[in-house]
Amino acid sequence: MTALDTLLLISAITVGVALLAGNWRVGGWLVTILYALQGAALLMMSGLGYSTLTVVQSSFSIEVLSEQLLWRFDALSWFFALITIGAGLFSSWFASGEWGERYRDNGGSLRLFHGALALNVFTMLVLLASGDLLTLFIGWELVSWASFLIMALAGGKAFGYAMRYISYAFAGAMALLGGLLLIYAEVGSFDFQSLKEAAPQMQASTLWLLVVLLTSGFGVKMAILPFHLWQAKAYAQTPGPGAAFLGAISSRMGLFAFIVVVVQLIGISRLVEMEIPFTFLDAQDLLAWIAVFTIIIPTYIALRQHDARRLLAWHGVGQTGYMLLGIVIANDLGSAGGLMHVFNYASYQAMLFMVVVAVIHRTGTSDLNKLGGLFTRMPLSYLAMLIGIIGLAGLPPMNGFVSKWLIYRSLIVDGSPLLFLGAVIGTLGTILSVYKLIHNIFLGQLRVEHVAVREAPLSMVIPMMALAVIVFVTGYFPGLVLDWTSAVQASIGIPVLAHHLGGVSMKGGLDMIWIVSVLLIGFGFGTLVFFLGGRSRRVHQLDNYAGGHFLTAETRYHYSDNFYPGLMHLIGPWYRNSFEWLERGVISAVDTLSTAMQGLYRNAHPSYLLLAAVVFALSWVIV
Amino acid sequence: MHFLELLVELLLMPILAFVIGLAMVLMMRRIGARIQRRVGPPVLQPIYDIIKLYSKDTQISHGLMHEIGIIMAVGGYIAAETLLPVPGLDGLADKGGAVTLAYMLMIPALGMALGVGQCANPNGSIGISRALTAMLAYDIPFILVIFGASYVYGTTNLAEMISIQQQQGVSSWGIVQMPLLALTALLILPAIMGKHPFEIYVAPAEIATGPMVEMSGKFMGGLFVMQCFQLYTAGVIFTTLFLGGGVYWITFLPKIFLVVAIPMSVAYLFPRYRTEDVLRLMWKWPMLLGLIGLAVVMK
Repeated sequence: MTALDTLLLISAITVGVALLAGNWRVGGWLVTILYALQGAALLMMSGLGYSTLTVVQSSFSIEVLSEQLLWRFDALSWFFALITIGAGLFSSWFASGEWGERYRDNGGSLRLFHGALALNVFTMLVLLASGDLLTLFIGWELVSWASFLIMALAGGKAFGYAMRYISYAFAGAMALLGGLLLIYAEVGSFDFQSLKEAAPQMQASTLWLLVVLLTSGFGVKMAILPFHLWQAKAYAQTPGPGAAFLGAISSRMGLFAFIVVVVQLIGISRLVEMEIPFTFLDAQDLLAWIAVFTIIIPTYIALRQHDARRLLAWHGVGQTGYMLLGIVIANDLGSAGGLMHVFNYASYQAMLFMVVVAVIHRTGTSDLNKLGGLFTRMPLSYLAMLIGIIGLAGLPPMNGFVSKWLIYRSLIVDGSPLLFLGAVIGTLGTILSVYKLIHNIFLGQLRVEHVAVREAPLSMVIPMMALAVIVFVTGYFPGLVLDWTSAVQASIGIPVLAHHLGGVSMKGGLDMIWIVSVLLIGFGFGTLVFFLGGRSRRVHQLDNYAGGHFLTAETRYHYSDNFYPGLMHLIGPWYRNSFEWLERGVISAVDTLSTAMQGLYRNAHPSYLLLAAVVFALSWVIV
Repeated sequence: MHFLELLVELLLMPILAFVIGLAMVLMMRRIGARIQRRVGPPVLQPIYDIIKLYSKDTQISHGLMHEIGIIMAVGGYIAAETLLPVPGLDGLADKGGAVTLAYMLMIPALGMALGVGQCANPNGSIGISRALTAMLAYDIPFILVIFGASYVYGTTNLAEMISIQQQQGVSSWGIVQMPLLALTALLILPAIMGKHPFEIYVAPAEIATGPMVEMSGKFMGGLFVMQCFQLYTAGVIFTTLFLGGGVYWITFLPKIFLVVAIPMSVAYLFPRYRTEDVLRLMWKWPMLLGLIGLAVVMK
């Protein structure tokens, strides 16, 4: 039995245990321990992450239509599996304590919740292990249905959003199936290797069709433009820790498949050759621009949200753009940045969702206009959110900065000012939006009804803190993650980034150990300077001054709604919901078409049918 | 390089920055005074101000985050100064570069924003909302400038940019190579420094409606120190990118003071822009100039 067999077996057992024992008092902990065991099984293959092993086969395989179906892990699968299992572990941990009890008391089925979560992890591992295009498709479908399951758990509205997702996923799967059939027709096999060998000889028109079909198929899962509408609402409505899990890793499966098929097998160099007629652009530029718009538009949609979970979920869509951008640029810096961003983003997004869920747990709402001043009541949650937003905004000293730095730097090396500008516009929008998030929840005035709120229970705080440590440590020593991304780069055939523990070794490189140390020492000196001054007197929060009117406890006012009026004054009219409009157009077109087909097919219109048949027959006879 | 030597450099750089920053604050006030036909403050006034603020009897703190915010604001700048090469002192210039510096400079802003948020004064929050909007306004053209300079010099390392300009003479200076980008940078300088006519987000004249509303004593003092660093940083970045940096302080200092003096002299003549007008202005002229400038240097 290989290490991969062990991993998949433990993962399958986790699903079974979750379904069997999920409702027990210790059920959640049991499942969490099993995730830890999955992690241990993954560590048995850690050679993959350091280029000492190239591939781990599974001993399980099936033969279908003279095609051998294989499952195996390489560096890329290992890297994504690490994040998947980590996200599963922390989410399940978070769900096992008070959150789970509350969920059960409110009528939720913990058995279903843990089962759905474990099933998600299992199906993702199966997808990550796929060894040819057919197993990739099987894994793809399994993942889609597993995500649907966990999204639909909450029922009601959530079910509607989950249905929306599954409609998108179906369309994507059809595009993917079309792509795979096209490959089969061209190559005659579902084997990875044969596609890789055949790709350089493919005609440009075939390749265009293939790239469009595959990118749309994978893009639906990634929620890149114009398929971005389903994700935020569906994730936001998923039960707490489930949202943290989905937000952290689920849609990254699209990116994984994209890397495997488009980057590794077809090759970015092939995309560069595919020029778009009458423009200066080629297929790579097109994808890069899609990525940049996927950064900008969802980020600025997030800026307008006033529900914390939706705000985060929309940022999730936006951050996908950075990963895709880095990977499409495909030089050593960019691809390392894109891959590293998958890890970094998962670490802080899961944490941010957890903080928001903890706030909901304590206050009952995630409405940014109904919170405020919780810093004094939930300081540890605040700390976690602070670390998370610094990461999400991509500022030093957190890990988000390193991956974004790599992407920016790759765009400078590549000489693409407009893409760079787009990426930075996204980052600036993120800073505005995350400040609003932390300000409206934790800063400002405490509401009367939240005076008695306490810190979140330990079962929630510990996973948050653990993730916070990961976010900080991988920001301080980015080499830890860059080792893995380098192994991935080597295995998918992209130039490997020269790096060291502190960052990037190149001219104009980055050394985070120095940067972070100097920042911490700077803060130390800042503290010193601060305490050089006279003694300060701490006053009650509401003891403050407002232009001649003293704010009193009777007139509470937390500035939260429409937080950026100046900005919205200018860019407000640019929000036109064009994509919603487009979606409605497509829906009504499909609706009309299906009604027409139904009318033709099922209702009795014999004369029309006869007429059509006669016309067809006549034309066939004559022509 | 010797480790100890580097350590001394790292210590020296923020101190120099602070002292020069104090002188720049003095210059700024003198310019303002001359334009308004006043005498202006005496030479040591900025130092008196800081001592006064730090030693006040009434120091009102609104909670832990209020204090940490001020510490982040000052500490972030202290750290950022070590990334900014000046004559004789390269510091950590080879460990970060222009992009890192641009993002390091957001840490103090974030610290101040968090500190003000903790004060629970809606007027403070409104000020931060304006400040972040203004940051969005000026950072977009600023990033074009950074990109253009990195492209022209072929590196993001600020120390290398200086040595390239020093070796090849005035004709290789940024201002000759990319005049449009230099103009862009000059236009956004007052906004970066939070000065006229873009100072609505600081609102120094009507304390009660800006981020400073709850700042007293050493909290205000911290922001004063931050302002010194801010002026210095803006001057040095511009000089490094466009005016050849400096090998000797004697040639370097006039440059950075000149850079700060130009926008100051012009700025006091203008009335103030509203937040949305700052956005509109920044996204129109500097942006347009920056894009054309980029197109010119990249051909």
